[in-house]
Amino acid sequence: MRSNGGATQWSSHPLGRRSVLAGIGAGGAAALAGCARGDSTAVKPGTTSLANDNATWDQGYVAAGRELKKLTGYALRPLSNPNPTSYKQVTQISLQTTKATDMIKWASGYLLKSLARTGELSDLSSLWADYERRGWVTSQAREAMSYRGSVYGMPLYESYYVLFYNTALFRKHGLRAPGTWEELLHNAEVLKKADIVPFVATQSGNWPAYEWFQELVSKVDPQFYAELISGKAHYTDPQAKQALQIWQDFMRKGWMTPADFDQNNGPAALKAGQVGMFLHGSWQSQGIAATGMKPGVDFDAFVMPPVESSTRRSVITESGVLAVPRKAVSHEAAMANAANWLDPKVQKVWTDFLQDASANPRSRPGNPVMAGLKDRAQRERWTLLPRYGESGPPNLIQGNTDDLGSFMTGSSSAEGTLRSMAGRAAEEWAAWERDEA
Amino acid sequence: MSSSLDQRKPPLPGPRTSSKPGPADSPPPRRSARRLRDRLAGAGFLAPAVLLVSTLLLLPFATTVYRSFFDDRRVSGFAGLDNYALFLNDPVLTRSIQNTLMWVVGTVVLPLLLGLAIAVLTHGGGWSRAARLVVVLPYALSGSAVAVVWNFVLTTDGAANQALRAFGMDAFAQGWLLEWPGNTLVMILANTWQSAGVAVILFLVGLQTIPPETLEAASLDGASGWRRFWFVVLPQLRTVSVIVVGISLVNGLKSFDLIWVLTQGGPGRESETLAVSMYQETFLALHPGAGAAVAVVLTTIVLFTSWLYLRRQLTPKGN
Repeated sequence: MRSNGGATQWSSHPLGRRSVLAGIGAGGAAALAGCARGDSTAVKPGTTSLANDNATWDQGYVAAGRELKKLTGYALRPLSNPNPTSYKQVTQISLQTTKATDMIKWASGYLLKSLARTGELSDLSSLWADYERRGWVTSQAREAMSYRGSVYGMPLYESYYVLFYNTALFRKHGLRAPGTWEELLHNAEVLKKADIVPFVATQSGNWPAYEWFQELVSKVDPQFYAELISGKAHYTDPQAKQALQIWQDFMRKGWMTPADFDQNNGPAALKAGQVGMFLHGSWQSQGIAATGMKPGVDFDAFVMPPVESSTRRSVITESGVLAVPRKAVSHEAAMANAANWLDPKVQKVWTDFLQDASANPRSRPGNPVMAGLKDRAQRERWTLLPRYGESGPPNLIQGNTDDLGSFMTGSSSAEGTLRSMAGRAAEEWAAWERDEA
Repeated sequence: MSSSLDQRKPPLPGPRTSSKPGPADSPPPRRSARRLRDRLAGAGFLAPAVLLVSTLLLLPFATTVYRSFFDDRRVSGFAGLDNYALFLNDPVLTRSIQNTLMWVVGTVVLPLLLGLAIAVLTHGGGWSRAARLVVVLPYALSGSAVAVVWNFVLTTDGAANQALRAFGMDAFAQGWLLEWPGNTLVMILANTWQSAGVAVILFLVGLQTIPPETLEAASLDGASGWRRFWFVVLPQLRTVSVIVVGISLVNGLKSFDLIWVLTQGGPGRESETLAVSMYQETFLALHPGAGAAVAVVLTTIVLFTSWLYLRRQLTPKGN
């Protein structure tokens, strides 16, 4: 009887079981419908969506998009996912759906090749041929953008790996940008004596661990570096050993920051005169300028000189990539924008925002530091080498970067590190070739 | 459930031929129909939970187990137990197991001892409330936030080394997060700083449920101080200790966020635990097969350890 009464009370209650269940059901259905709609990539007339992993560049994309709109009728609508790992996963999955973004930002080299071989990217070879005819790209840049002979990406920018320095600090200690290896060593010695850490080097964040590796190997022998990253030379060869010995020597002398130095603090440390030279991609210009230092006035940059003066000068370059998914929602518009991205008018606005250089050799960077370096590289015909991070099967690079991190903390020797890298290279190149076959 | 449903149902309408029981013992058709309806209703209530658990837990787990038997080439093929063999011949995974064991021991022993000590010392006494609050507060922070705070402390240029240098102990200043096993040990300490709070709360609850009569009886018998704690208080905290150890055990096995923010498992994958290795292999090294094998092994260990431990420690009555 009691329970009968209870049941009656329940049913008379304004929020009965059925209404609660119905409410939950309706709420769930609404939530699911909301999730499924995902209209961020839907067609919006006059724009193309651009997925990317760096929200701080949104303004730059919008500004470049305004120029693009004058040429193609389509502006850029950036969709940022600020976590690179999550961006990578989401992009790879979304390319297989019918709601792919119109354009995506990706990395060049083997990361682009890995994505292109899934068949989810559009072939941009004809657009590249047009660019080449107009002299808006160099033929050297093609390899990092292609897979099996076809082009799948347009270079987003072309950064150099440089050593930034604080001009006032250099003046104070009677130093200048080094033209030779000996001058570089001299600078480091002087700075160290003045209680300033000469070089920024870190493995914090994982990937920066290869910055000094690529730099030193290419400055020992640029030809060897090119062969090493294409799997033709070995990590245990004398050139690689020499590079790691130099590196170890720098660390032993206390010339490098601790291996857990946060690169985000690099610009501030450079401004405060705590570090002397900051090896990083030239895109860092923007970050240093954000501390209030003026490019070309308060800070400047140089490319590391070769170890032997007889060795040809080289510079490590890095290009992000703009690619067009095969299933892009506004495919035609995206192709039109890809075909005009390297137009000097668009590049001017974009590189002024980025404070970096364009992949279009006819576009002069607004940043005087980069403009000077670019001019010199063209005049002296420096060898342009791709960054290590994109120059091999992704698993190889990931594993070898971990090994270099161990080396930087002293938990593995130079010999041991190179042996481990060589073993992985043999394995991963074989796996890549097997997959290709 | 069904009995209460039965009770709630109004009596079935219609006259009953109660004087004559039906042929043989079979229930009358109306009753069996009612039972079927009850069962259907029961199944209906269970369905949402079963559906949710199946789609969100069991199905992905089955997929993961299935994936772990396939290799990580571009066109994935059946690989048998190859991915599991990595636990024997991949030094990274061997180190990962070592680290996981260190984490389990550290996260069980430290919060248990510290939690108990702090709870006993701050139980009663007015001033102790503030002290208790300070200890419990970190538990309210998220793992990532705790890691960011500890990052300021533990980096080579961080607060710990600056403090050591300020007191002239330069020799002790070091890269706390850069060398194994030191980096794993300091991360376990950082984790203890956070997780001791929950142990304190649980032990305080345990202490409050101890009947004062037992303590009074102990005093009358002449037991005081350490003897009273060891022979009277501690045995009565057994259930709470079981829960604290159980929670810490699982937390230790699945520790991820703190490590990810502080070292990302590095340098050189030296400070990874199995949970970090699972993420590394699957999403960074792009070895979903190997990652699935790590996930399966980790899940098996967590389930087996929890089952073994709780089965031995908790009787049905909970004492």
